[in-house]
Amino acid sequence: MTIAASPRFCVAICALLIVGSLGYGLLQVPLQVNDSLQKIVEAGRSPGVWASFTSEIGTTDFRPLWVAEIKLLFDLSHGHVHIAYKAFHIALLLAAFALFIAALRIETGADVAASLFALSVLVGSNTFTGLVKEATPVNVYLPIVVLVLLAMRLSRSPHAWWVDAAAALTLIAACLTLESGVLVWVALVAGRVAGGRGVSDRALLCITVVVVVYLTVRLTLLPLDTQNTSGYLAERLEPEQIRERFGEGFSRFSIYTVLASISSVLFSEPRDGTVVLLRAWKAGDIPPRMWISLASSVMTTVLIGVTAWRLSGSVTAAAEPHRDDMRADFFVFGAILAASAVVSFSYAKDVIMSAAGACYALVAFWAVRDQLIRVRRVGAAVAVAAVLLITSSLWAVRVISVQHVLRTQAFAFHNDWATMRDHLPDDPAGRRLVLGLRAEALSKPVINPWFIPRWADRVFDIDYF
Amino acid sequence: MGRLTTLPAVCAAIPALVAVGFCAAVFGAAVFGSTPTFWQGGPLTLAEAAALRDQGEVARLIEAGADPNGEYALRPDILAVNRATPLEAAVAARRPEIVNLLMREGATVDGPAWRHLHCVAIDIGAADVIQAVDAYRPETASAGSCTQ
Repeated sequence: MTIAASPRFCVAICALLIVGSLGYGLLQVPLQVNDSLQKIVEAGRSPGVWASFTSEIGTTDFRPLWVAEIKLLFDLSHGHVHIAYKAFHIALLLAAFALFIAALRIETGADVAASLFALSVLVGSNTFTGLVKEATPVNVYLPIVVLVLLAMRLSRSPHAWWVDAAAALTLIAACLTLESGVLVWVALVAGRVAGGRGVSDRALLCITVVVVVYLTVRLTLLPLDTQNTSGYLAERLEPEQIRERFGEGFSRFSIYTVLASISSVLFSEPRDGTVVLLRAWKAGDIPPRMWISLASSVMTTVLIGVTAWRLSGSVTAAAEPHRDDMRADFFVFGAILAASAVVSFSYAKDVIMSAAGACYALVAFWAVRDQLIRVRRVGAAVAVAAVLLITSSLWAVRVISVQHVLRTQAFAFHNDWATMRDHLPDDPAGRRLVLGLRAEALSKPVINPWFIPRWADRVFDIDYF
Repeated sequence: MGRLTTLPAVCAAIPALVAVGFCAAVFGAAVFGSTPTFWQGGPLTLAEAAALRDQGEVARLIEAGADPNGEYALRPDILAVNRATPLEAAVAARRPEIVNLLMREGATVDGPAWRHLHCVAIDIGAADVIQAVDAYRPETASAGSCTQ
């Protein structure tokens, strides 16, 4: 098979089309009301970006950079708040996809096939959905995915002073955005252990000191309120129920949540801690979408497991030219997966695992590529082709599901704007702002679920909670 | 790429390309200014929006000038009737939240209209809808039996 255009260019075009369609979907979704409107109103009241940044110091959330971004975008929007926040969301998606493709080694036709498969895994994964459906008003998890992928890129690039500086800035930006920002440190350290030479040991030491200081301040000086609604087996528990049943602090529930978070990446179950398959089975109806999610993830995880097992053996660099890159990516994936799960100890939420989900797609690339280039017999080639056809088809359905989730999200948010008129801010400026946003949100036509065929909700993935 | 690799590579790539093709169709339609089919719904009357728990559309239509007390056509497979007021549609579809929204957005009920809605709510046996309708009972409305 000959590919006239550069293989990487072909994959980049495909990624661009995916981002384009997601971007269109995002623009159709009105701004979120819950967990978002208050932040927009506060951005309107804030005297400046620095004031917004410092307002987060000492708070439970402590996400100063995120709040400053919200304010900056609000100021830059000149009244076009919807467009400003959505444009930033789309820009972050573009950055994530660009870094993801940059992380893939695309040289041949087989690489292109494996890359397309990996793109499907990236977008179709349940950890990805939260990156597009949540916008409060800026998605807080997507920057972490971007920064983790950037850290991985820096780690494997040739060493230079600016790489050290960029790594430090990446970590600081991530930690000031969200607690999961420490995953950047995990990516840098794991990348170094796996043989990456981009970031010097001295820089890594400095970065580690920054992380220790951050964690010390975050865990000891700032107020912590980490309990949230979370799933447990087939149930969904409120914070009070979790405390009542499992007690305060570290408990059996914490262990369950960590394991559930790992499982959600590898097997698409549980969802936000709840085993939705079990819940559906108890209700007597398991829709096809659950089998699609489970089967695609299990088959992909098995492929990854086979490649990991082969890599753990005595594979020579001569027999496998990209052995070191593969091992490095598998190692970083393991580290990010474990660290993300630990970060989720308090409550399970798929989107917290989104950086691990991106790394999962990355190792899925290596796994598929490994299967493709190692086929030696006709029978094996047919068997591998059948497995890949089924798995890739299931992932393709999951990619389309993301658009379906956005459609239903648009309907839900549209409805939220209709009923919020009784909760307007007291100040005239805030009132004017909210009424303007409401009028804009309501003027956007959204698709009523009645027009969507009944089978779509059974086949395409949905927003479970 | 070796000949043996081609078949599995094509099998891995084709479904992914179909998904990309779907995305390209959505994106392409948007770029050329039309609503992609996947994102197309259809216009709803106020009564249909009320029956289909479309609070956003209810608010949008009323704020665009639709009469919340008027009678509107309904598509055959939404409710058992083909014309209804938004309040009748909301009650028949068991949507107490839409009843509340309509009342907040300017719908009014006189004694006979309230009694009609109250009886429909009792007929369908939805306690939350009965409660929502009863909250707007006009002082002049009689509380006689619905069997009359």
